[in-house]
Amino acid sequence: MGDLKTPLDGYSSVQTWYQGLREQSGVDPAADPSRLRLLEEFCRSVELDPDEVVKACLLEKEGRDTKISIKGRKRVSQMVDDFQKQAENLSTRERAHRGNTIRSFLIHNGILLQAGVQH
Amino acid sequence: MEFKEVVGRRRSIRYFQSWRPVEREKIQIMLEAARQASCAVNATFMKAIVVERDKLDANTIEALKTPVSGQIELAPIHIYTYADTKAFHGAQGRLKKLVDVGALNASLGWSHKFVDEFVWPNILKPLAENIPQSIALVAGDVGVAVCQAMLAGVDEGLGVCLTAFVPEPVKKALNVPDHWVPLWCLLVGYPAESWEAGGQRPRPPMEEIYHEGKYGTPFKPDPKVTEQLKEQKLLTAPAPLPWRKAEVKAMAQMFGLPE
Repeated sequence: MGDLKTPLDGYSSVQTWYQGLREQSGVDPAADPSRLRLLEEFCRSVELDPDEVVKACLLEKEGRDTKISIKGRKRVSQMVDDFQKQAENLSTRERAHRGNTIRSFLIHNGILLQAGVQH
Repeated sequence: MEFKEVVGRRRSIRYFQSWRPVEREKIQIMLEAARQASCAVNATFMKAIVVERDKLDANTIEALKTPVSGQIELAPIHIYTYADTKAFHGAQGRLKKLVDVGALNASLGWSHKFVDEFVWPNILKPLAENIPQSIALVAGDVGVAVCQAMLAGVDEGLGVCLTAFVPEPVKKALNVPDHWVPLWCLLVGYPAESWEAGGQRPRPPMEEIYHEGKYGTPFKPDPKVTEQLKEQKLLTAPAPLPWRKAEVKAMAQMFGLPE
């Protein structure tokens, strides 16, 4: 990761996330500023920018369609789980919000991380 | 509930009251509906294992999930359905029994001799010995049975959803025989979302998918019949219902799921 460009909404994956939230989930992304803040915190903790986080879940080979990398997806899923657990002194619900924010980012970028019911 | 309303109310329910048990009698009703389904050569190709989600260990639940079946852990009952490829065996005897009970009749060409000397050796035995060739027929039969189970579940006020599942952990956990081909997991539970689940799903117009007389002549629905089906609730309000996104958001918050 080079320098993380903040605010993060300049990254194409963040724009894709926002569009998905608006159009598919009926949610105004700007209404909850914790979304971008949590994504930035996550990106810093794993040393990847948002586009790189998405790319880490993909298998791109020249001349072939891009596929989801099972290993990459598992690795990133573990990163999200760890990020969720990191914050001490938070309630279960608040911790779930941390992980689900990143999962939402990934889902709207076409990467499904099935973490299941969080609380 | 009237049959047409059952058909109209069926949705793939994905948000279940995960805390609420399903009465065993309702599962038996669903299985009985499946058991009574039409089946080729009176062979019960559909086999199933009913599992209470809470009796599966966490590792098995995790291993079951596919990218498109996140709701698997919300449903309190899983019915794993299979095609039994050995169900052809015994078909000879069963067909002759159908002759004896008047289901298959001489007026349409059936007799014991016909079964023994033509049907079994020329049709059924080759199918029984060539699973790749017969699996489409067998899976179709299982589909019919599963559909009856689903509709019976809806009639009992339950939510139902067919989903794919990862066969290997289930085979290991539930001791599934090798000759059972995995097909669908039927998830069952009381719906947490409204029965409408956002509205009746979009379907292509009848004229695009059904033909009359020959291919290329669309089957044109009669508007009077369409109106009648709306009154009888087979056709219901189409998706998306205006409050659906708010409902999904509420489900996500209730279950701690992403938006």
